[in-house]
Amino acid sequence: MSIIKMQRIAVIGLDTDKEKLVSSLMDFGAVQLTDQTGKFEESLWKDWTVQDENQEAVTLLEGKMSRAESAFAVIEKYDARRKPLFKTRRVVSKADIISAGNHLEDEEKKVQMVSDFSHRLHSITDELNKLESDRISLLPWQTYRIPLTVKETKTCRIHKGVIPMTADVNMLAQQLEQEVEGLVFRLISSDKDMHYVAVIVMEDLEEQALTLLKQEGFSEIVFSGITGTTAENLDRIEKEKERLEGERSEVEAELTAVASSNIKEDIETYYDILAIKADQERIKTKLLKTKRTFMIEGWIPTKCVEGAKDILEASGCYYVFRDPSEEEEVPVILDNRNVFTPFEAVTEMYSLPDYRGFDPTNIFAIFYAIFFGMMLSDAGYGILMAVACFVALKKYPLEGTIYKMVKMFFYCGISTTFWGAMFGGWFGDIIQVASRTFTGHEVSLDPIWFNPIEDPMTLLYFSLALGIIHLFVGMGIKAYMQIKDGKWFDAVCDEGFWYMTILGLLGWLGGGSVSAALVTIGKWTAIIGMLGLLLTGGRHNKGFGKITGGLSNLYNITSYLSDILSYARILALGLATGVIAQVVNTMGAMAGGGVKGAIFLTLVFIVGHALNLAINVLGAFIHTSRLQYIEFFGKFYEDGGEPFDPFRKKTRYIKISQDE
Amino acid sequence: MSIFDGNSLALLGAAIAALAGIGSAMGVGIAGQAASGVLAEDPKKFGKTLILQALPGTQGIYGLIIAFLILNKIGLLSGNMVELSQAQGLYFLMAGIPIGLVGIWSGIAQGKAAAAALQLTAKRPEQMVKGIIYTAMVETYAIFALLVSVLMWLNIQI
Repeated sequence: MSIIKMQRIAVIGLDTDKEKLVSSLMDFGAVQLTDQTGKFEESLWKDWTVQDENQEAVTLLEGKMSRAESAFAVIEKYDARRKPLFKTRRVVSKADIISAGNHLEDEEKKVQMVSDFSHRLHSITDELNKLESDRISLLPWQTYRIPLTVKETKTCRIHKGVIPMTADVNMLAQQLEQEVEGLVFRLISSDKDMHYVAVIVMEDLEEQALTLLKQEGFSEIVFSGITGTTAENLDRIEKEKERLEGERSEVEAELTAVASSNIKEDIETYYDILAIKADQERIKTKLLKTKRTFMIEGWIPTKCVEGAKDILEASGCYYVFRDPSEEEEVPVILDNRNVFTPFEAVTEMYSLPDYRGFDPTNIFAIFYAIFFGMMLSDAGYGILMAVACFVALKKYPLEGTIYKMVKMFFYCGISTTFWGAMFGGWFGDIIQVASRTFTGHEVSLDPIWFNPIEDPMTLLYFSLALGIIHLFVGMGIKAYMQIKDGKWFDAVCDEGFWYMTILGLLGWLGGGSVSAALVTIGKWTAIIGMLGLLLTGGRHNKGFGKITGGLSNLYNITSYLSDILSYARILALGLATGVIAQVVNTMGAMAGGGVKGAIFLTLVFIVGHALNLAINVLGAFIHTSRLQYIEFFGKFYEDGGEPFDPFRKKTRYIKISQDE
Repeated sequence: MSIFDGNSLALLGAAIAALAGIGSAMGVGIAGQAASGVLAEDPKKFGKTLILQALPGTQGIYGLIIAFLILNKIGLLSGNMVELSQAQGLYFLMAGIPIGLVGIWSGIAQGKAAAAALQLTAKRPEQMVKGIIYTAMVETYAIFALLVSVLMWLNIQI
């Protein structure tokens, strides 16, 4: 069994030991504390205890963390260093963490510095935007030479403004100049919406002129906060913009220098230290307390119990360990041999098994690799995949699901190489095609077993046979679980009769080519099996249901048929990879031999096979997973386990190394 | 000689198989609209959304495979078309139908499933793989159609 056994832990201690215990439990990292608010429904608990919390400290820490997060966003933008392909956690020694923890104010200043930079950049951008809008509003007035703020002389008034495009300016100009004595009307410029006009008029005729102007939709423009002529102002704005842009690139250069230094790493460490502190405060909501004592409850893997006892003894607490009771929901963590660990990712993706269920990871791992290999079935692709994954594993300190996935694809790559060699696929038929195109002689590269494109029926039978084995293993697990629970009879009825029916039908219908005896044996096995199904299918029902239950049980043969046929996708996807690869190679060879032909073939080869690889790796991954989830898991799997989430140092950016 | 001689019927078969691309085009289109919506909220999800958008694209590829296989077998690609009897031409025509027809509707349906999976990815990115599996369930039937087309194509004697 690869689901780890758990024990329930309960601790009561003195309030003075609380901080120390919380911190050593966090270092220990193997206890999941459970929420105890449910206890308040009982008056005994309600009267004596309250929920512990320190909301203020949490809020304070969260505020600092969110400031650090916004600093990351700024740094991310200006960090000139190359970004790695995978985000991995940096290993930091314990001593460094402690020394950084003692100088948190220094780190806080770094966060402040980054946010100052970003404020400066923001205010420069704001100013630039304002200048730009000023410039746009001045542009139509370029040919207007009187200082913009001059609105009057001793005897005249000057009006500047806009008239909508719809008005006829020439008519207006004529009208004004005829009706108002001494008026000067100038059209300064026009754009697609407006005419920009200036009007100079004698002081006492101002009203008359304005009335006429307003009839045509004139509206006054006031230039506030501006002195001098348009040209002077545009000049000033241009210079100002230049100065600000210079300042901006200076600030950006400074920021880039800062961002490309180690500041990001420093702030990351700072962030994670805060995250640890915040978790230490948050966990207190799971504590119950009285005036002088506290109490915690939780789950702990059985094999960690001894270690926990040492910690609890050292903290001088009172504690109890016990096995989980039947109805308790126990958190689940999987534990498999090293080889199988990567395939846990597939199980976890579906949903963890129930604590009292069965973890099939080590059983389906081998099927997973085989199915994947047969679906991709090209040795060239397999080698590429395996090498890429191997390099990623060596080069990056990957963790968690990504590590499992990459390692799983490494195994799948090896399996793909194997099946590719069996079926004779090396980047499709590139060796044959290239040798034929360039030398005229075709170098043949025979498959070790057979070529599925020439003989697909063999592969179809082989795929279905693998499928039946896969399903039978799944049913076997169900039977194992039933027998373990003492339900012998159910195991025989639900799985035994189905084994007999399916194997019997196989012998009856397909055994003729092997020996006649197989047909007879198969016939009777199938009949006994089907009778058994018919008779026992309704055993849990009452009355008439006993008959209909048996019939519907037998009818399930269709679902077994569709389950088995579903494995035909192994053949189809394998063929798809092979045929597309051949299409790519054929297209590449169309330019013929010679240097040009070689260049063309290389280009088509790279692009075509990259696409084919991407599509078919995705396809193989999805459909292999599907065969596990629907066909295999469907036979026995009991899901719904909550993942075990121990109270530990959850860091996002750094990984604390255990050596001092 | 009628215009429906063996060779033109075989070409019609290849053409019908290639029609599976209609389904893929529509499916990828539907998924693409949803993907843009998701990206508007969070531009970092480009890689994830692209995978989901690509899923309904396989029907078109399956159609292409069958079309290519037919064209190859009748010698169109190498330049010397084999003279086919009307019956042989009809065989090829029929071999093109399963993937051509199933490809169209499964592509559209898969596109809709992909769009829903994209919504799932927008709200709960960690559940994306399950969305992919849901979407891939639709593809099963396109794969079966491909299989039927391939088996028919294989056993046509020329």
